[in-house]
Parts: sequence; C-alpha cells; structure tokens
Amino acid sequence: MKRVIHFNLNGDPMECFVADNKTMLDFLRTDLHLTGTKRGCEEGECGACTIMLDHQPVCSCLLLAVEADGHDITTIEGIMQNGKLHPVQREFIDKWALQCGFCTPGMIMSAVALLNTNPHPTEHEIRDAIAGNLCRCTGYTKIVEAIGAAAEVLRKEA
Amino acid sequence: MAMTSKEYYAEIEKVYKKPEDYELAGKGNAYVRIDAEAKVTGKAIYTDDVDLPGMYYCKLVRSPYAAAKILKIDFTEALKVPGVKGVLTGKDFPEGHNLGNPEAFKELADKEPLCRTQVRMVGDEVAAVCATSEDAADEAARRVKVDYEPLPFVLDPFEAMQNDAPAVHYPGTNNISMFTTMQSGDVAKAFKEADYTDKHYYQTQQMVHAAIEPHGAVAKYENGEWTIWTTTQGAYVSRYWIAWGLGVPESAVRVIKPMVGGGFGGKLDVFAHELCPAKFAQMTGHPCKCILKRDEVFLGTRTRHPISFEIETAFTKEGKLLAKRCKHILDGGAYGGSGIAANTLSLICATFPYKVENIDMTARRPYTNKPAAGAMRGYSACQVHFAHDVHMDTVAEALGIDEVELRRKNAITPYYTGPTGLEFTTCAFDETLVKVRDAIHWEDKDKLPDGTGIGIAGSGFMSGTGFPVLVTPHYCSASTLVRLNREGYATVFTGANDIGQGCDTVMTMIVAEELGLRMDEVKCVQSDTTLTPWDAGSFGSRVTFLGGNACRRAVGDAKLKLLTHWANEWGCKPEDITMKDHRVFIKGDPEKNISFNEACYGYEEKNFGRCVSGVGSFAHEGDKDIYVKNRGNYAPAYSFSTSGAKVKVDMETGTIDVQDFVFGHDCGRPLNIRAVEGQIEGSVLLGLGFACFEKCQYNAQGKHLNPSFRDYRFPTALDMPPVKSIICGQPDPVGPMGAKEAGEGSTAPVGPALCNAISKATGLKFHRLPVDPETIWRGLKQKRETGNVEVGLEGLAEKFANMPDVKPFRPQVKNPAK
Repeated sequence: MKRVIHFNLNGDPMECFVADNKTMLDFLRTDLHLTGTKRGCEEGECGACTIMLDHQPVCSCLLLAVEADGHDITTIEGIMQNGKLHPVQREFIDKWALQCGFCTPGMIMSAVALLNTNPHPTEHEIRDAIAGNLCRCTGYTKIVEAIGAAAEVLRKEA
Repeated sequence: MAMTSKEYYAEIEKVYKKPEDYELAGKGNAYVRIDAEAKVTGKAIYTDDVDLPGMYYCKLVRSPYAAAKILKIDFTEALKVPGVKGVLTGKDFPEGHNLGNPEAFKELADKEPLCRTQVRMVGDEVAAVCATSEDAADEAARRVKVDYEPLPFVLDPFEAMQNDAPAVHYPGTNNISMFTTMQSGDVAKAFKEADYTDKHYYQTQQMVHAAIEPHGAVAKYENGEWTIWTTTQGAYVSRYWIAWGLGVPESAVRVIKPMVGGGFGGKLDVFAHELCPAKFAQMTGHPCKCILKRDEVFLGTRTRHPISFEIETAFTKEGKLLAKRCKHILDGGAYGGSGIAANTLSLICATFPYKVENIDMTARRPYTNKPAAGAMRGYSACQVHFAHDVHMDTVAEALGIDEVELRRKNAITPYYTGPTGLEFTTCAFDETLVKVRDAIHWEDKDKLPDGTGIGIAGSGFMSGTGFPVLVTPHYCSASTLVRLNREGYATVFTGANDIGQGCDTVMTMIVAEELGLRMDEVKCVQSDTTLTPWDAGSFGSRVTFLGGNACRRAVGDAKLKLLTHWANEWGCKPEDITMKDHRVFIKGDPEKNISFNEACYGYEEKNFGRCVSGVGSFAHEGDKDIYVKNRGNYAPAYSFSTSGAKVKVDMETGTIDVQDFVFGHDCGRPLNIRAVEGQIEGSVLLGLGFACFEKCQYNAQGKHLNPSFRDYRFPTALDMPPVKSIICGQPDPVGPMGAKEAGEGSTAPVGPALCNAISKATGLKFHRLPVDPETIWRGLKQKRETGNVEVGLEGLAEKFANMPDVKPFRPQVKNPAK
C-alpha cells in the first residue's frame, strides 16, 4: 500500500507518495537522494541514521516514512543556515572530532538536538546524549570536546 | 654517467624543508582534515551513496550449515519475483580462480567467489540474485532453494588439529593452514641456568572490526571495462583479486575507493559482494549494487584470530629475561586470505618490546568451520601482548620486582637487533614507560582501596610493514605523483588509501609544507586505479611511513626540478632557494623573489611547455620470502607504546569503571598532534572493547549467536574513560618528516594494561578474554569459595598437552594462478 503524506523536510513543505512499509531512512536515501543520513545497522543500534522528528533525535531506520505525516523532519542536510556551518559542524572540523566520518552526521544530529534543549550540558550529559551513536574510530574524546565547545559558541551567540 | 638512487635521493633531500622551518608538520591545530567539511555536512560520498541510473541490487544467498555439500540450487521460485534480473552460482566464475594468497602459499588461495560444491561455514556464499529493487532482491534470495548434504564440521581449533577431525579443506593435514617456527640461541641451556622458570596459559576470543560502514560495492560495465566503487583498504589489491576472480585482465577493471567508513583490517580481503555485482553488471548491462546487512558483515567478512597461548619463560633473579618458549594456536576460521601473516606476526610480536636472545616458538593456524580470521588493527599484536604482558606482571610478582622496573630492565633499546632479525632503529620505549608510570601515579599503586587498581603494559609495532598480505606477486611499495600548476596550486595523486585515518590530509600537508602552499592550494586525488599510482594498501601501519615517504619523494622530485631551473637562472644552488607563502625566493635578496605561479611558468617556458611534475616511491627493502623463512627485518622502523590504566571494580557486581587512562607513544615526530591523539583515543576504545566487552558467540552447530550491535556490544561514549596521550621519542631519521606509525601499535598495550589493573583491583589472575563483569563476578565468587584466583584456565593446559605433534606441511594444490 502507498499513501500521500505531507511533512516539512528541512523547513520545506513536501507532498510525497510512499509505501507503508518504507523506512524513513530508505525514503530519504533512495527516494529523496539525501545520502547524508547513513545506513549502519538498520536496527536502531548504531545511530548513524539519526535525524530529528519535531526536534527530537530518532533513528530513521526505526521510523516509517508515513509516520512523518504532519511532522517536521530535519536531516544533516538541513542544519546549515544561509550557507553557514552550524557551530557543532564547525567545532567537529576544528577539533578533529571525526575520522572515517560515517557516524558523524548522526552524531551531529544528536548533538544539535541536545544543544537545542540544553545549552549548558555537563560532560556526562553530552556523553549520555550520544550514547546511542556508535563510533569505532575516535574513542569519543574529541567528539565530546567539540560538542562542549559548540555549546559555548551557541551560548555566546544567544 | 647515470645517477645512483643514493645520489638522486641525496639531491632531493637537499631541497627538503628543514625541520626548524616546518609550518604545518608536528603542530596541533595548524590545519584541519581536508575531508572534514564534506563529512560534517553529509556530502561525503561513501560506497552506498553511489547511485547510478538504472542500477540493480544484488543479494547473496548464504549457507545455513557449518559444512555441507551443495547438491542442487533451484532458482525457479526466485525468478518468479517481479523485478528479478539475474542469478549467479559458483559455476559462473572461472574454476580455480580462488581468492587468497597464491604466491607464498598456494593452498591459502582457498576461497571460491561463490562456493561451487561445498560450504565451509555458516554464512558462506552459495548464490546471488539481482533485481530492480533491494526489496525484490531480498525476496528472491529468500526463495532460492538450495539442497545441502550436511557434513561433519569442527569449531574448536584444538579439535581441528586432531588426526580424526573432519577436514575443513585438505584431508591429512590436521587442518593446519599455516605452521610457523622461529628459533634462536640456546633455549635449553638458558632454562637450565635460569633462577626462575614458569609455564602459563592464556586465550583470547573472537572479535570483529565492526566498522560502522557495512561492506559493499557498486559496479558498472561499459566499453568492455568495469568500474567498481568498493569499501576497500587497498584499491589496487581489490583490483587484482576482482580481475582474477572474474578471469579478466587487470586493465579491464578500474577500482575507485570512495570515502571508506572505517576498515581496521576488515576491508582488505576481496569478497563475493564485490565480484557478484561486477558479474551482474556485465550480464545485464545495468550498474549493480551490493551492500551487506550488518549480520552479513559479522558472518561473511573477517574476524580477529582467537589465539591460545602456552608461554614458558626463563629469568635471572635480577629480572633479566633469558629465554622464551611459546606455542601459539590461531583459530583461522574457514579461509586463509589476509590471515597469511597472522602466524609470523604473532611470533615476532612475542620478541619485543622486551629483549630475548633465546627463543623457541611455534605458531599453528588451524582451519575451523567458522567465519575466516584475517588482519585486524594491531594484527596479532593485541592478542600476543595481552598474553605476554599480563604474564610480565606474574613474573614481576614472583620475582618481587616492581612491574615497571621489570619492563624497563628488559626494554628494547635503540638500534638493537632482535633474535629473528628485526632491526630496531629509534626507540623510546623506556621513555614511554617512565612517563606513563609518572602520569598514572604509579607511586600510589599500593595505597589504593580494595577494588581499585593501576596496571601498566608495553608494546611495540612495525612502522611501515614491508610485506604484502594479499598480493605477493607485487612489490610492496607506495607511490605518488605530484603535479605543479602554474595557476597557483599543486595536485597530489596518492596511491595511499584513506579509510578514515586521514592519510589524504597527511599527503596534502606534506606537499603543501614542501612547496610553501596553503592546504587548500593542494588538491588531493583519492585512490583510484585509473588515476593514482600503485600502492599495496592500508595495513600494517605502512601508510604514513611508506606512503608519506613516497609522497615526500614525489614532491621532492618536482621541487628539485623547479629549483634546479631557478638555480641556473639565478646562479645559485637549488638548496639556496626557499619556497614559502606562495613565493619562491632567495632569503634577503629582493631581486630573486617570484610567485609560485611565475616560478612554474618560467620552468614551463624553458621546458617546451612541460609542467613541473614529480614521481616518488618508497618500499622497505626486505627479503620477500619472509613468510617462508620466518627471519628478517619486517619494517624500516618500529613504534613503541606504554599504556597505564586505573580502574575501579564494583566488588559486588563486577562492573568496571575505567577512571583514568594514560598512553605514551613513540611515533617519532607526529605529523599532526590532533591526528595522533585521535589514533590513540580510538585505540583505547578498541583495546577496551577487546579486553572487557566483545566476543562472538556460536552455538554447537557453528551458528553465530550475536551478529548485531545489540548483542555484540562495544564501548559507547558512556563507557570510555578520559584518555591522556603523551607523545614520546625523537624524529625518526627515515620516517617522513621524522614520523613513525601511530594507529595500530597503539591498540596493543591497552588490553593488558586494563587486565593488569583489574588484577590489582581484585586479586584475580586473568587468563582469558574478555574480562567482562560476569567473568569478574564469577572469579570473585570462586575466590571467596575456593581461594583460587586463577580465572579462565579451564582445560587449556590439557588441550596443549593433547595436541598431536603436527609437522609443517605443504599440500600439493593445483592452482592455475601462477
């Protein structure tokens, strides 16, 4: 079965015709060609496919595309503003908080979701917010550092 | 008269930038990764992101049996699925074109692209289907009906070596895929004269690489040529095997390595998921993609060799290590492939970082009906240093010598030659021991409360492995091309394979540093067999050392040409000219100061329009028969490390809190401090996972029980300790800009340091990995109830004692490869 859904994708209104059994991950990658959201395990364990559903981080492999009907979806492609990198992206670059980069988009989405609701996260809160995002390269040290630095930048901008 | 290579390189070295003038190398934040922006915006293209018009999807059909004969494959139902476009079996690939390593050991080329008549493990690939969508391919694969006749199988490496064990491959060989011995000195005499001798047993578990990006490939076939994007650690190595598996010349295959989402050794071998889409692309005329599901990555790619150890040592009462006897049993799983190097590496790793003159060591690698073991970050070193460095603490306790002092007493010193011919050069192992000892507050070790402990362990690793693991016919070199453009930039065509470690950034930096350009004025062309020159792949910590040197020689070659031209114009020597800030000039002479663009233009004008270009290559000059002779120098340099861990164990539940972790690493001059720290921090994660978390579990039928990230758990951000990195040592005279390796060796001392700390915290002695909370809880219970503190020894001594006296063998295997 297929049905028509309406939702906001990275701020833009969308009208799409999707199969009931299609995951948001497959829909984004295959139908919309937004390949920044990564496919790592397809069972909600690795977090590489993390996007935001109404500003909450979710694994897009566990979300059906039809569930987006009437909601806001934000992907890694949607967090730059006016062509400018988001402070979390900037700090990931400056702090060398990535290696292979495969977990990076999902990791950044979890971090942005955290900072949207908690501008003063402790180190433990940062680690807790990304505990569902597996990284096999970095040992998380520089990721935690980058998110902390981005929080500071955002506080100054606010 | 033609120049000798020595004279030529001496000329190049004269124009290299002097270390005191480095603006990028050796610094912390002087530059960022060249791929960082693409990766943080989601724009970086990995294999699964390659999306071609009209693309089909391939799905593999895998064996449910650990060993079985394939009687019949019936595609009738599969072909009824709408959208199915083709099917494959082993018979669609040329017979005898097995994957593995046919040069050094013909019998290790043992993997058919798809199994023709027999499967050897659960998950072995028997057929493939392709369809217009992934869903249709999945459905069709489920409907392929394969009739099997189950065969006897063997899962345990010791049982596999028994005379009556079922043969995984070759009957009458006790399933030994490799048998390696190393001997030196007079071991019997040393044991006789020693004050202290012992015999201990250890065992490590099966672990997997678990790169977050699953393996996969996309292939297209046009104009009689394949183009294949694949998750590889070596584009040229993949090209060699894909061409061989298809039975076509290498010139008909182009392999492009896009961004790779982590390798750790698991993406070195060539697999059915690369050959099948290639075949389908040719059969159907449509591009074809095959991306493995997570469980398929566990079942069908590679694992880390589980190793069982029997270690006997002889020491003087002052703590000098006199001799070592050891037997290593490596569980090879069902196939050879990149597993070829495991035996040799396991033995040479046992000869350092501690000096030992008298050795008698053997390593056996039996086949079993489990997923194949291969290379994994800290290849063999992680397992060996776990056993041999936990053992060092046992010796220290027995001799009443401080654990750090015992290690310092036996530490390798600069320019020492090991008993199997390893020629060590720069070595700051002692410095790593001392600095980590101080930073972890070793002086407090006896004042800590019950349940808290500090442990230390050391290791060393080859820097720039000189030998290939998968393409022995090829010279194991790294090579690079550099082109200078008069429009104000340079292009570097690097053969090195960036799999996430950041070597594209390193190569770019080396070129920018030498030419006085900004990082963004050097364009890096990633590994691609049509565009970039030969490289043996990313393994054995060879990329920075060999690839970095190749790159420096390439830019040096170009720089020498350019500066020789201007030296003639200006009446000076090439080395009198400086390249800095986009200028080419003689210091203090305003008349002789031109832009980079003018310099290139002037050269081209006098050279019939030819651009300034350079070619560079670097290889370790070693004996190519090292895997047969088991003697020789494995690499041009060696790195050394010490780990220090402080843990707090909950004595009721066995849970482990790693409170502090210090890592001292002698990597020569770090080409980027942040990058080296990143490698160390990642190493601590892999080491912590190895020591305390990860293990593949099988049922009695050889079925993998935890092939998912839910059931195969590795450290999350909440599990990781803070890591303090201390960079030690001096610039290496041969390394590029003084660098040595900093990625693989750094994984090896993590596990034993943690185990030693947990031992100190609990009073338990661990012999088997992983040391997870359950193991600790059971150990503490056993200690309370029986007083026995030895954990994980069950049956190991008996297994070694009952091992048949297996002789080295070479089965006669017909292989049309060579």
